[in-house]
Amino acid sequence: MTMTKNSLKRSIPHIVLFAFLILTLYPFLFVLFSSIKSDNQAIASNPFGFPASFHFENYREAWVNAKISVYFFNSLYISTLCSVVTILFSSMGAYAISRIRYLRISNVMYQAILIGLLIPGNALLLPIFIMLNKMEFFGHAVLGTHMALILPYTAGAIPFTVIILVAFMRSIPGEIEEASVMDGLSAKGIFSKIIMPITVPALVTVFIINFIGNWNEFLMANFFISSDNLRTLPVGMVGFRDIYNTNYAQMSAGIVFSILPVMIIYAVLQKQIIEGLTAGGVKG
Amino acid sequence: MNKTLRKPWTYVLFLLPLLVLYIMFFIYPMISAAITSFMKWNGLTEPKFNGLTNYKHAYHDAKFWDAVLNNGKFILFSVFVQVPIILFFSLLISNVKKLKGLYKTAVFVPSVMSTAVIGILWSFIYEPDIGLFNLALTKIGLQPVMWLSDSQWAMFSILITNAWQWTGFYIVMVLAAILSIPREIDEAAIVDGAGAFTRATRITVPLIMPVISVVIMLSIAGAMKAADIIIVMTKGGPGGVTDVMATYLIKYGITNAKYGYGNSIGVLIFVFSLMLTALYQVLVARRVERVEY
Repeated sequence: MTMTKNSLKRSIPHIVLFAFLILTLYPFLFVLFSSIKSDNQAIASNPFGFPASFHFENYREAWVNAKISVYFFNSLYISTLCSVVTILFSSMGAYAISRIRYLRISNVMYQAILIGLLIPGNALLLPIFIMLNKMEFFGHAVLGTHMALILPYTAGAIPFTVIILVAFMRSIPGEIEEASVMDGLSAKGIFSKIIMPITVPALVTVFIINFIGNWNEFLMANFFISSDNLRTLPVGMVGFRDIYNTNYAQMSAGIVFSILPVMIIYAVLQKQIIEGLTAGGVKG
Repeated sequence: MNKTLRKPWTYVLFLLPLLVLYIMFFIYPMISAAITSFMKWNGLTEPKFNGLTNYKHAYHDAKFWDAVLNNGKFILFSVFVQVPIILFFSLLISNVKKLKGLYKTAVFVPSVMSTAVIGILWSFIYEPDIGLFNLALTKIGLQPVMWLSDSQWAMFSILITNAWQWTGFYIVMVLAAILSIPREIDEAAIVDGAGAFTRATRITVPLIMPVISVVIMLSIAGAMKAADIIIVMTKGGPGGVTDVMATYLIKYGITNAKYGYGNSIGVLIFVFSLMLTALYQVLVARRVERVEY
């Protein structure tokens, strides 16, 4: 009697938690099922269940006809490039701030960069738009090209990246550098041969966080680019929805394409992602 | 030693690329927004100084205050609806012995997804004819609801979607704080005969107040930032009832090229965020003592 009462008592929290999990994850399952159903009729007649027949051609059509492939590769290269450049510049800066002996100036720099975290991004959307509108790059207007995303994405991730990297580099013991100086390394050599290799775990975390942030960014991508071929995935998806809102099966396939890369990265690197996101408090 | 790590040119070289980008995309836009917020400027003609006209215009525009009110709804919804849910589930997860990792990983999933794509996904769920909600409603014999195009339901529908996306993120944050409380405290309370509910309300919750403060501050910041979810789901409609400050700014500043007026709204977003944060610090956070253990 007490055994069953105990095990019942122990399983109630799990039942409640499972209900919450279903609430959280079911929308994804709904989209996944809908993406292989034949059409809206099939979704409406059996919304909750498994599809009666599989229609994987939705994926091919979304990928080719709806140009998801174009948007996908635009997003992929912009997100990767910006994350790499942000990390390169930020780690150089973080090295100067944390390890080179100009402590007073460094402290001012660090505080100034901290302010960047306090500014609500939307407040800067318009002035950046105006600036890019006036700016030229090798005789071409920047607004409307990928450069209009690459520059602000690269710059926008700086405060978060610098803060994480400075914290990490400050924790590296000074003896390592002293030994390297004895061995005749220059400041640049210490940076590339000693500090950077030690910082790899933090670099992985900030790379993933910045990549996901860029991959998901919508506002700038929506307003700074007008040509269809240059769109990134979230904007392309919204355009796709506005045109094909009669074909929910194909639209679901498109949603799966945009969610899948992040899901895969999350499945592999969830620990770093959870730590990085909650530490930075970078909520979209 | 000091010579190698004290070369001014090396220092400048390492910092320069970072500083150039930071000044270009943070400092300069901030200053130019502040200055042009006192100007009349449509992007074509020269900007003209017009004093406080932009701010007065915002002050007298009922639509602007509707937008501010909607930001307020975001904040109230997270403080009074989301925070209790977050607390409940993080306490629940912290108390189970098995599957902790699974729960934590799974509830976090929506917060790594693109808000725009989440918006698309949920407008599918809210779809009047083949969306999940209306199919469920009609199945149990209720009238379908035009979730996103009915002005009574539109804002609520957006708040639900936003809560769905971020609740897991905060649960993981609060959970980490609960799990870092030393076990001895809880065990001592058990010895003293305290039940699970008493321990949760008298021990755990007071000890994690600092993290709850962080959750509320992040909710405020998130509420002031909200824009993409609204643009994707309702475009501010129907009839502007779901506009928030940021979408109001975009409507005037970018779509209608009222640069001066748009920037004054940007400044107001910044000022309101600072004021709310300061107000919260003074009224609530200061009373919460930091507990060291």
